[in-house]
Amino acid sequence: MLGKLSLRNAKRQAKDYIIYFITITIAVALIFSFNSLAFSEDISELSQSMKYFKTSIMIMSVIIIIVIAWLVNYTMSFILEKRSKEFATYQILGIEKKDISNIFMLENILIGIVALAFGIVIGTILYQILTIIIMNIFAQPYQITIDFNLKAVGLTAAYFMGIFFIALLNNRRKLKKTKINELLYAEKKNENHLLKKSLGNTIIFLISIVLFITALVIIGDTFKDGNSVKGNSTLIAIFLTIVGIYLFYISISSFITKRYLNNKNRKYKKDNMFLFRNLTSKINTMSVTMGTLAMLFTFIIIGCSIAMLMNAMLNNEIEMGYPFEIMISSADGDFSKYKEYIEKNAKVKGMYEYEILKINETGISNGLKGTPFEENKWYDYDEVMKLSDYNYLRKMLGYEESTLQEDEIIVQCLRTIEKDFEKYVKENNTIVIDQQEYKIKEVNGENFAQTISFNGYIYLIIVPDEVANTLTEIDLEGESYNFRYKFVVQTEEKTDERFYDELCQFILKEEIPQTEIIDGEEIEYNLEISLGNVTTKGERLTQVKSFYTIISFLAFYVSLVFAIASATILAIQQLSDSEKYKYRYQLLRKLGVDETRLNKMIFKQLFIYFILPVFIPVLISIPAVFLVGRIFLVAVTLGDIALNIGIILGLLFLVYGVYFIATYVQFERNIKEGTR
Amino acid sequence: MSEMLKVEHIEKYYGNKDNITKAIDDISFVVQNGEFIGIMGASGSGKTTLLNCISTIDNVSAGHIFLENQDITEIKEENIAKFRRENLGFIFQDFNLLDTLKIEENIALSLTINKKDAKEIDQKVKEISKKLGIDAILDKFPYQVSGGQKQRCACARAIVNKPKIILADEPTGALDSKSANDLLSLMEEMNQKMQATILMVTHDPFSASYCNRILFLKDGKIFNEIIKGEKTRKEFYNEILDVLALLGGDTRDVR
Repeated sequence: MLGKLSLRNAKRQAKDYIIYFITITIAVALIFSFNSLAFSEDISELSQSMKYFKTSIMIMSVIIIIVIAWLVNYTMSFILEKRSKEFATYQILGIEKKDISNIFMLENILIGIVALAFGIVIGTILYQILTIIIMNIFAQPYQITIDFNLKAVGLTAAYFMGIFFIALLNNRRKLKKTKINELLYAEKKNENHLLKKSLGNTIIFLISIVLFITALVIIGDTFKDGNSVKGNSTLIAIFLTIVGIYLFYISISSFITKRYLNNKNRKYKKDNMFLFRNLTSKINTMSVTMGTLAMLFTFIIIGCSIAMLMNAMLNNEIEMGYPFEIMISSADGDFSKYKEYIEKNAKVKGMYEYEILKINETGISNGLKGTPFEENKWYDYDEVMKLSDYNYLRKMLGYEESTLQEDEIIVQCLRTIEKDFEKYVKENNTIVIDQQEYKIKEVNGENFAQTISFNGYIYLIIVPDEVANTLTEIDLEGESYNFRYKFVVQTEEKTDERFYDELCQFILKEEIPQTEIIDGEEIEYNLEISLGNVTTKGERLTQVKSFYTIISFLAFYVSLVFAIASATILAIQQLSDSEKYKYRYQLLRKLGVDETRLNKMIFKQLFIYFILPVFIPVLISIPAVFLVGRIFLVAVTLGDIALNIGIILGLLFLVYGVYFIATYVQFERNIKEGTR
Repeated sequence: MSEMLKVEHIEKYYGNKDNITKAIDDISFVVQNGEFIGIMGASGSGKTTLLNCISTIDNVSAGHIFLENQDITEIKEENIAKFRRENLGFIFQDFNLLDTLKIEENIALSLTINKKDAKEIDQKVKEISKKLGIDAILDKFPYQVSGGQKQRCACARAIVNKPKIILADEPTGALDSKSANDLLSLMEEMNQKMQATILMVTHDPFSASYCNRILFLKDGKIFNEIIKGEKTRKEFYNEILDVLALLGGDTRDVR
């Protein structure tokens, strides 16, 4: 009998919690599919770095489990509070407390099991989709197979059993402790501000703003460039931000009261009075929840944006550093064995051998001032290339060729500092080489293998051939090798990781001399240096792709779970209160508010609720990402940073928006239920 | 005195073709400007349906209702809300104050709905609250004031808009006799001093004795009508009891 009663009640309230149920199901699906990915052998075998995928998913899962546990516990206490009258009535009728708490547990376990089952089914499909995406990234063929990873199922089930078990114990204890009259009057009056004095609230409000600014200043100072990053001050900035967020949401209601409710002109305007009183009546529970949600959002936005920036940086570095499929440097200039091997094992589209000359500093490095590379010029020579070599390489890369008068030179530099160099050249348009003055004709910023000191490090001077032939090269004292000879190859097909491994095997095997004569002395040839002078784009790309995949998938995983958990909590709060709001909106209707205006008010109310916890995170994280992003400026531009943060915000708001619309639709339905 | 409300042969049916319930079966009456009229009847006699039809919350199946010559049964759906907020004032059984709003704001609610100017709202709220003696508690929330003060607030909200007619639905239903007495005196005062036209639905003879005139409904029809005239309230009360006894079948409603 009791079971039937409770089930009917649960059913009646189910519509308010359907969003919660869907969220739990999505969470199960995500956790299951990511664990399946972690256990998948197809994926861990994709490249050497993909073995970190498993570890990082496992670590992230812990954070995600904590967030889900919070959501479940929160929602369960919430349902308990909402149904307190019902449970009190059972107790008044003489039903044992033990039986009531058993019923409540049974209901929740049922919800958990159903969500788990649905989630695993959806998760299996999601797992297939994710696998296809990863296989596509690595350009590997993949056939859909329905393999049901028992380890992943077991782990997911264990996670959720743990979560539900803790939440149930917690709520069972709560139910046991409360007395009947507490249950009967659990629906409280309007809440007061945490602090009675409005002056105190204003001070707190101002302090929170000061904390935000201080945190940003600390971040700005810490992330000036790659060398100044310090863990301690970053932690301080994070701590200040968290404190600031909570203080802000504690004091915001007083701010609203002051702005909209103490000023009669604003209060009586439109529907301000009704909307803001609704908002401030729930202020205490709200401020802590909203603070927590805002904190989550801040960390998702900053964390994901930086993760995506790292991806962009890695990707750009490949494009900038490895425009040729195969690049080899050598000190002796004998590439014949490499040539033979490569021609045998790959379809060659074009190859070229050339030399890079080192001359005394010309002072052109002053152009690096004010760029992220200011400190990176640690050697005291400049590198030079012949125009004919330059044009040949440009042709291979598909760039336009250049011409020079005999008193002109070209500066070829990294794309990210092309503008800085152009600015510098505008003011200093000549340089002196061997007491001869040359005009700088142009600055070029195409990708030219300059991040890894292949065609010059960061920048390179191009001179006419006849000038190059007469240049005084510097004597490189103290440097054992001068890898002045370069060899580049473009292939018809992209090289892969295996090609690189086999090439290395070949080099190690004997084809390359084991000793070399330098300055009349025979020394052992350092094989590691030799291997380090051989790079292929395919191998670099595979490494980067692994990091790319790991970072993007983790960012996607964490932010999706955070976003749906946060949106769910807001949705549940609003929907379960809709009974109360129904009464309020009903009265407005009787007093003559028409449907359009009513809908607008409902929309506004929910919109304010949903926008409040994301408003501060957006304001904080955008400058924070730009400040932190400065350490990536060696390989990304400000535009890249803006684009990345835009993508993250866009995705976040998409998910959040779906929840908002679902809440709005259900809320409106609840309020209009049973009226014409 | 001019006619404020004219109800002409209205009927209201519920149910389907095979099983029709007549909630209102051909009712006609007229309410004069400044009258305090009571509608009495047992549960199911059609009094709440009648009130809902007048307040445009429900529509009639047949007949017409005129409020100052405007036929409210002909108002288009999209204009009903506007009509309601500009012409009608409501007093409900459970006061229907919003817990989230202060007393002052509850009174101002119907004015903000009408999008009145902020200064005008403030002035009107102060004026009416002084008249009804609640100006000292304007800054409190409903749960901080007594039941009697809540009713005063509800009355203030009903009248602040200067509606053509105030509709009261069992206003004393949830009150103890002392508070009920206070509320009815207040409504009488509103009727006499502010010339408010009030239509009150009740099943309580004591409440009804405050009215100028009472219509008795039974099975959807007007069963009887009595007028207070020069009688004392005590005499009028006894007369009501007599009619209720005639109505029969529901003497348990008679205290």
